[in-house]
Amino acid sequence: MSHKWGMVVDLDRCTGCEACVVACHAENNIPTAGEDQAARGRAKHWIRVERYWEGDFPNPKIRFQPVLCQQCDEAPCEPVCPTYASYHTPEGLNSQVYNRCIGTRFCANACPYNVRFFNYYNPTWDMPLQLQLNPDVSVRSVGIMEKCTFCVQRIKAAEIQAEAEKRELKDGEFTTACAQSCASKALVFGDLNDPNSEVSRLSSSNRGTKLLGELGTKPNVTYLERGNWQDGKNG
Amino acid sequence: MERRDFIKISALSGVMATLEACRAPEKQLIRFIPEEELVPGIATWKPSVCTLCSAGCGLQVRVMQGEAEVVRRGQQGVIKMGLAKKLEGNPQHPVNKGKLCARGHAGLQVLYHPDRITQPIKRTGARGSGEFQEITWDDALKEVAGHLSMLQSSKSTEMLAFLGRPLHSQRRELIARFLKSYGARPAVWYQPFDEAVLRQANLLSFGHAALPTFDLARADYLISFGSDFLGTWNSPVAQSLGYGEMRQGRPGRRAKFVQVESRMSQTGANTDEWIACRPGMEGALALGIAHVILSEKRAPQGAGSHAGSLIVGWSAGLPDFAPEAVEKQTGVPAAVIKRLAHEITQSGSAAAMIGGAPLAHTNGLFNALAVNALESLVDSARDAEPILGFMPESLPGEATGSMQASLASLNALAQSALSGQPHTPQMLLLYEADPIFSAPPALRIREALGKIPYIVSFGNFIDDTSAQADLILPDHAPLESWLDSMPESGSLQAVASLAPPAVLPLHDTRSMPDVLLGLAHQLGGEVVKALPWTTYDAMLRAAFVPLRSRGGSINAQTDDDFWDAAQTQGGWWSSLSPAHSTGSKAVASSSLAAAKHAPVAMTAPEFAGASGDYPFYFLPYVSQAFGDGSLAHLPWLQELPDVLTSAMWSSWVEINPKTGERLGIQPGDLVEITSQQGSVRAPAVLSPGIAPDMVAMPAGQGHENFGRYASGRGTNPLSILAPLADRETGSLAWAATRVKITRAGGPEQAKLVLFAGGMSGFPHEEQRR
Repeated sequence: MSHKWGMVVDLDRCTGCEACVVACHAENNIPTAGEDQAARGRAKHWIRVERYWEGDFPNPKIRFQPVLCQQCDEAPCEPVCPTYASYHTPEGLNSQVYNRCIGTRFCANACPYNVRFFNYYNPTWDMPLQLQLNPDVSVRSVGIMEKCTFCVQRIKAAEIQAEAEKRELKDGEFTTACAQSCASKALVFGDLNDPNSEVSRLSSSNRGTKLLGELGTKPNVTYLERGNWQDGKNG
Repeated sequence: MERRDFIKISALSGVMATLEACRAPEKQLIRFIPEEELVPGIATWKPSVCTLCSAGCGLQVRVMQGEAEVVRRGQQGVIKMGLAKKLEGNPQHPVNKGKLCARGHAGLQVLYHPDRITQPIKRTGARGSGEFQEITWDDALKEVAGHLSMLQSSKSTEMLAFLGRPLHSQRRELIARFLKSYGARPAVWYQPFDEAVLRQANLLSFGHAALPTFDLARADYLISFGSDFLGTWNSPVAQSLGYGEMRQGRPGRRAKFVQVESRMSQTGANTDEWIACRPGMEGALALGIAHVILSEKRAPQGAGSHAGSLIVGWSAGLPDFAPEAVEKQTGVPAAVIKRLAHEITQSGSAAAMIGGAPLAHTNGLFNALAVNALESLVDSARDAEPILGFMPESLPGEATGSMQASLASLNALAQSALSGQPHTPQMLLLYEADPIFSAPPALRIREALGKIPYIVSFGNFIDDTSAQADLILPDHAPLESWLDSMPESGSLQAVASLAPPAVLPLHDTRSMPDVLLGLAHQLGGEVVKALPWTTYDAMLRAAFVPLRSRGGSINAQTDDDFWDAAQTQGGWWSSLSPAHSTGSKAVASSSLAAAKHAPVAMTAPEFAGASGDYPFYFLPYVSQAFGDGSLAHLPWLQELPDVLTSAMWSSWVEINPKTGERLGIQPGDLVEITSQQGSVRAPAVLSPGIAPDMVAMPAGQGHENFGRYASGRGTNPLSILAPLADRETGSLAWAATRVKITRAGGPEQAKLVLFAGGMSGFPHEEQRR
């Protein structure tokens, strides 16, 4: 069975703790920009937590929203790439082929979610911080684009292992680094082609929405809206 | 001779030959035999324990073979060794169940930090100058042992003092035994945001001198008074697990969550209803709710009678706390108080918790006892098992939380050093506490340490306090050490976490407990009798093996099997039996009898600074990234955008937009915040989530010394705190300072770095400059 990787972000569970942000840095060798580069808008966070304030004191409201690459089926980043570096894999990922990328940044301009990051300089790590690097993930050099991969290294490792053992992948056998760290289980990753997977079940929730879905990007990330206690019971 | 041994020997002789061949030590290439179980490219997972906060979560360390530059027997070289690559939660661990917080992930950078102290160093310049020279372990230990025997021979062992960050491990037991048998004064455990008030309140109300464990997954209604339980307070990972279930884990049943505070925290941001309360009056609000429940007879007769009996007027139905009176005190409308009381009693199960700022006032204990009384009334009154419980003890002894307020004991030490009397401390052992950074300036810690002739630090970084040390004996990083932890909350199972070193040491450091045990052997006499072990793992084994008789997670026939299994699992935990969940219903009556206390009457909080001169309440809060500041040296956490402001690499002060408008302060402007104790400057963040008469700053930045990523960065709100304390426990009242603010400059003079996230398609996203 072919896979189609997707994610559910339950906004009713998300607490804004940002464990996912640091977990992603550790897993994917995301370089630390430092204060000066960060001030120029060059810090990279493949997953971030956005905040939306409403109302004023004493009745302020705030909503958190983790935003990562939505792995769109109709991804605006893909057709604009002159070198086919932004590429749609058969398993539904918007992948970035680093050695094709020539750094036009068209994809970042086209992406409505602001989840693509350009390498303005070669990454460095103060010795011996380079020892933290994950050998399964390549570091990205100057002049190319990078983005959330749904931890493709974990996907591939699990697929290869399952194939070697001549069996199907099981739901929950592996997950992305962000979802693995998420204490309130707001992030759920899995195979949307498997009707019994948790991510498939949650994606069909009546609380489900797509981020900027009206743009027709057909994201593979589904957001579940926050519940409302005043409505009473909410499933 | 087996083939394997032959290879080892030939490899070793090869090493020797290489060493002989090279003259310049920095050019030498040393290749040790790789750790046998490691296959290049294949990850192995080793259990470990997170020691970055007191929650004591279980870890799994992803270890892969790699090449690292290390020091072995004084020689530097590159070897193949197992390297930690990623930290994950241990799925078997009862506290964090496979999950890990943002700070926990960054524990990896403690190991690989470029500014770790790599070998013993001795001060050469003036104190605090940061000038040190390297010395050998032999010389360093000779020097320390010399000082210790000198105090012994002059019969002045009480002149040895110890100052450390509170530990929840057998290291604490080891240190206590060392000090006691040597004849030194008891250790001082200091951290600015301590929990002595809540432990004292829980002892009085429930008979448990410990932090609470709330089974949130079963709650239908939760009212929290100031506790940042999803971010930084108590056991945040365990509490977040429960929170997720409370929200969406039970189809058709979603709990209501109410937060009472005066500045919206990360936790407060997740509420169904957020209630702004005047600072320090949270206890009155809790009693206002209790008044409605009692007067409308919404709880069974006698419910909450013990915890309630600690409050004056409880048996008479709290006549002073009618909603209208409480509205005047707290600013919360009477109608809201009544509605909350009705909602709580109409819910299936409810709990009330308190933490953070409400405890950090001069009336902190009153606030805690009041919320405990409400909790007891609404939680224990039900037929079902209460939401509140307490973790059973795993290992006895010093390892669990301290009842002693850390401010009071730190102050006693400082006063003793400053007094110049005979018996002032002559020698100080310092272990990861940083009071020069984090204690109120009125304690004059820097000056006090200046009076102590000899200071030895075991920390593996130079921070503001260890910069004053005469000698630094660097400890291993946690992942290089034998680790154990006895969490005090986060599960209703008794838990004793344990792990052997996950990786070999990178530098010429030594395990701090092993160094103390070595010193104990040199001192001999009573000290070695109290500490007969030569290594820390032997001491851990002696402490852990008796747990075998309690069954639980390990079923072993022999002590050896038990010890092996505990190392593989990452510790030992008891099975979850109903008898263990000694919640507020099953109050520990024996401890209650011992801890009698007269009923407490409502007292108003006191503040340092008159409201005319200092019109704003000042709230320094525990940072989501750095805790109390002890993690500010880690670059992943510096670059973590604060979830409420998106600020990175910065300090900032949160101001209500109306206040900003009145004072002409724009977002990003430099603001000067002045208390009676001093002033700090920080860029302004205008936030609707803070009361107009309050300003708030995250703690953690403003280190003079703390590695390249934190030194000289931002400002430290703790440096302008008044030394007020809770009246009963003496715990630092860190929310009791008042300040005035003025605009000191424009954004170009302030350094506020915000993360440039955001989507044009979402107009609500806050406007950034």
